[in-house]
Amino acid sequence: MIELRLHRELYRGECVDEAMKALGAYAAFERAEEPAHWVVRVTAASPERERRVAGELGNRALGLTVKRGGA
Amino acid sequence: MQPLVQLRKHLATGFAMPFKHREVAGKVLVTNTEGDFLLLEGDEFAAFARGDVAKGTDLYERLASRNFVRAEVDERRMVERLRARKRFLSWGPNLHIVVVTLRCNETCVYCHASRADMDATHTDMSPAVADRTVDQIFATTSPDVTIEFQGGEPLVAFDVVKRIVERARQKNETAGKRLEFTMVSNLSLMDEEKLAWLVENKVQICTSIDGPEHLHDKQRKLLVRGPDGKSAAGSAHAEATRWIRRLNEAYAKMGLDPTLYHVEALLTTTRDALPRWKEIVDTYVDLGCRALFLRPVDPFGFADKTAPRVEYPRAEYLAFYRSAVDYMIELNARGVEILERFAAIFLTKILGGEDPNFLDVRSPCGAGIGQVAYNYDGKVFTCDEGRMLHEMGDDTFLLGEVAGGGEAPRGAAAPDGAVRRRYREMMGHETVRALAIASNLDAQPDCVNCTYQPYCGVCPVHNHKTQGSIFGRMRESTLCAVHKGIQDYLFERIGTGDPHVLRVFQQWTTVRDRTHFLQTCAT
Amino acid sequence: MDALPPDLVSIDLAARAVSLRVDASLYPVGAVYAAAYVFLDRCYVLLDRPDAAHVRVSLSWKKGDPPAGALEALAGEFANELLSCAWRARIAEESRAVIEATTARALSGAMGAPSLDDLESFQFGDEAFEDPLGIAMSWEEKYGKQKKEAAK
Repeated sequence: MIELRLHRELYRGECVDEAMKALGAYAAFERAEEPAHWVVRVTAASPERERRVAGELGNRALGLTVKRGGA
Repeated sequence: MQPLVQLRKHLATGFAMPFKHREVAGKVLVTNTEGDFLLLEGDEFAAFARGDVAKGTDLYERLASRNFVRAEVDERRMVERLRARKRFLSWGPNLHIVVVTLRCNETCVYCHASRADMDATHTDMSPAVADRTVDQIFATTSPDVTIEFQGGEPLVAFDVVKRIVERARQKNETAGKRLEFTMVSNLSLMDEEKLAWLVENKVQICTSIDGPEHLHDKQRKLLVRGPDGKSAAGSAHAEATRWIRRLNEAYAKMGLDPTLYHVEALLTTTRDALPRWKEIVDTYVDLGCRALFLRPVDPFGFADKTAPRVEYPRAEYLAFYRSAVDYMIELNARGVEILERFAAIFLTKILGGEDPNFLDVRSPCGAGIGQVAYNYDGKVFTCDEGRMLHEMGDDTFLLGEVAGGGEAPRGAAAPDGAVRRRYREMMGHETVRALAIASNLDAQPDCVNCTYQPYCGVCPVHNHKTQGSIFGRMRESTLCAVHKGIQDYLFERIGTGDPHVLRVFQQWTTVRDRTHFLQTCAT
Repeated sequence: MDALPPDLVSIDLAARAVSLRVDASLYPVGAVYAAAYVFLDRCYVLLDRPDAAHVRVSLSWKKGDPPAGALEALAGEFANELLSCAWRARIAEESRAVIEATTARALSGAMGAPSLDDLESFQFGDEAFEDPLGIAMSWEEKYGKQKKEAAK
């Protein structure tokens, strides 16, 4: 399991949700909220796959956030 | 020379108009916003920077005459010069590149067009797409229209070329544009019938000559079918030069001035070309060419894959460039007319105060607003480089599919998903807008402070390909290195004050209109 | 790693990643976003805020093991892009008028006037539209009340 911590001042929550939805076929996601971060726990068939999916999710969430003008 | 940073505390803001400076061959080049320039000795520059130049002195007069002195500024001159430099902003694309086929009978090591084999007939432009393309071209706001046929090898789809020429002429009877046609061809599929048609229909021909035969044929493979029906290696150089001479003969026979009317040729400078600058220039002179465009290799198409074989550090290209142009200047002294195209473009801006509207070297660049590229399948791109990237799998610069004059429903999606858009929609496309901003040197780090800003240009497509964003970072840009290097060389030669060099450079800025190639209306 | 300052750049070979500690007072968040976006195709980019004054940018190698020196090169290139973006933002702010004028002229020159077909989809209506500069207001609406108040 990989835990991805995305800072609320830098990522939009809706963009994190959209990224999770887009990658839902590749891993299981569990979302949590902390005062400063959106937290996504990524579980997949192998550690390498978890790394890849977590990385792609982070990129997608960041890309969407940037396109929408920031957090 | 005292570094400027030590002079900063002395800068009298009341004396100088805003200027940029650069050390060139032991002197200091200063330029202003509207592109006036002066080459100053070190102590002159120090005095200028301090505002310590007495009125009535030679230095003061020189500075004032070029609008560097705030108290003497001629605002009308400034406005006129700026207007002349940005005149191209008033109208839309004048250059329309039409790729009539991707099929090509030659294989060139640096091919940036992603050519297809000769049996790939699906890459020929259909009559319907050709018609819609012509109709869309004539929606341009530009009073000048140049339709440039490219490929692959456009002679492979000669019927398409003829169809486009005929339809364009018909459209122009009401549109009344200054219409010209050009074709970029390897000439190896030329025959007397095609030649006669092209000459009669005033299609200007441009070809590639990579230098002497051994170099050209090493880089451009031509297969010909022998009498036994088998393929054998031909000489691309022999074919090209044969037809260059035939075309030039045909122009001369029509009574056209051979110094003005002849086949133009381009060079793609590969690593093998670098030590052969003299042979290359001599080859062009022998062929009757009056211009040579020393283009460095670019990162598109096959050139990307063959980079290990053809690429080189830009410092080596610039050494090649200097040697070749020095030699050309020397030839001019002996009465041989030959100019270098890059130099001519920059010199027209530097010495002439005009912009020759070379779309790759202007601010903003011509992507979309100055040129458009129409692919064989009707897809439209901001420029030829954008189209080349599409063939490499990157659709960043796709504007849509050509909608033409209106019979196709607007907004309709083609089978592959590209949206049909009319001319005005394409000009207002977000990609065109983004490229206009990204290529504006007033917005670009480094360029904003660069002494060559009034004369220069960036290529957002080149930035995107090599650096990952349309903005790029000029300090790391090979294209910026080329532009700076060429301008350094030109100002170095200007700075010698050699009257022969200055005369040659002035001649290179003189544009003689090739009015024979203007398509006149029937009325 | 000699070229990059160790208090600002750290490499985690096991994670195949390099991190940069970015001073938020030197690089506005818009510049961080812009630079990060450029690298999305090449690596996994993660932004964080270790404290109010900094942003941490982590760049993770996508596939396989990075060749020797690749992570340092990635960090160096990112730093250059970040500087470029920060400076560009400042230039855009300072030169906004001339950039807008040139762009507007270029696009209007290319687009030309709309045809009737182009106007077909334009919504002509009586609904209110945004008018932050008060261009659509009549002179009386804009200044009449102030004149009366001044007279008082």
